Amino acid sequence: MSSSSATYPMEGRSIPERREPLIPNGVLGMLIFIFTEVMFFSGLISAHAIVKSQAAGQMWPPYGQPRLPVEETALNSLALLVSGVVLVLAWFAFKRERSAARIPLFMAMLLGIAFVGLQGVEWAALLADGLTIQSSTYGAFFYLMVGAHGVHAIGALMGLAWAFRRLDQETLTSAQLATVSAFWYFVVLVWPVLYWTVYL
Amino acid sequence: MRPLENSGVGRGVALLGVAALILALFPEGVAACPVCFDSSDENRMAFIATTAFLSLMPLGMVAGAGLWIRKKVKDRGDEPVDPNRPEP
Repeated sequence: MSSSSATYPMEGRSIPERREPLIPNGVLGMLIFIFTEVMFFSGLISAHAIVKSQAAGQMWPPYGQPRLPVEETALNSLALLVSGVVLVLAWFAFKRERSAARIPLFMAMLLGIAFVGLQGVEWAALLADGLTIQSSTYGAFFYLMVGAHGVHAIGALMGLAWAFRRLDQETLTSAQLATVSAFWYFVVLVWPVLYWTVYL
Repeated sequence: MRPLENSGVGRGVALLGVAALILALFPEGVAACPVCFDSSDENRMAFIATTAFLSLMPLGMVAGAGLWIRKKVKDRGDEPVDPNRPEP
């Protein structure tokens, strides 16, 4: 249907002109999805808090379980936070001139890949140290919460890669970039909360 | 008419009375509320805090989304018209 006004054949009344949606459909759908994801992670964080409070002798991590690499992961977290900032820069560059968003979008993806890769290295080291999903509730919560975040990060990176490909083909719209960016911002912003909950 | 104490209703009332008495005398044994009865203060606080957190989080998100949409509507200059507003 065109955006120009039309006339009802029976009533002679004009149809109001179709306007741009207040929020692009993709962004709205992503926001609703993010709302559900926030509740999912809230549930995990709450369950973790309850189990931690019930730990024998208030000892957390439990005796005999390896300690998490707090400092290394802090650096890793910094890479993720910087990727979020770089993606904001990509958005402003896209608004100014589309082709200018290529480098910051690529940098945001690279930083995200570095985060996921380093998390994988950390997991391998922890598994070698004996922390498995079955070794204790501590290990179970660690792999569940950090793993769930990792899956979301990989999904969001796939979205960014899709956006980058469309940007290369000059077919990327601002609504599409906003949609995939919203998911990446969620991945970036939920991580400090998880880090504070699981690692500290 | 049968007297109440000999009827099924009377026995039910009596059973309820006994059950209420047991509940009153031994509340810890039947407590289903983990927030209300726990020996550990930290555990109790964790239940209370997470209950508040999980209750307020969706309300906060919906309220935030509502305010954001309201702001966007205002910025665009097409505030929804009150249907009860009289015609000028």
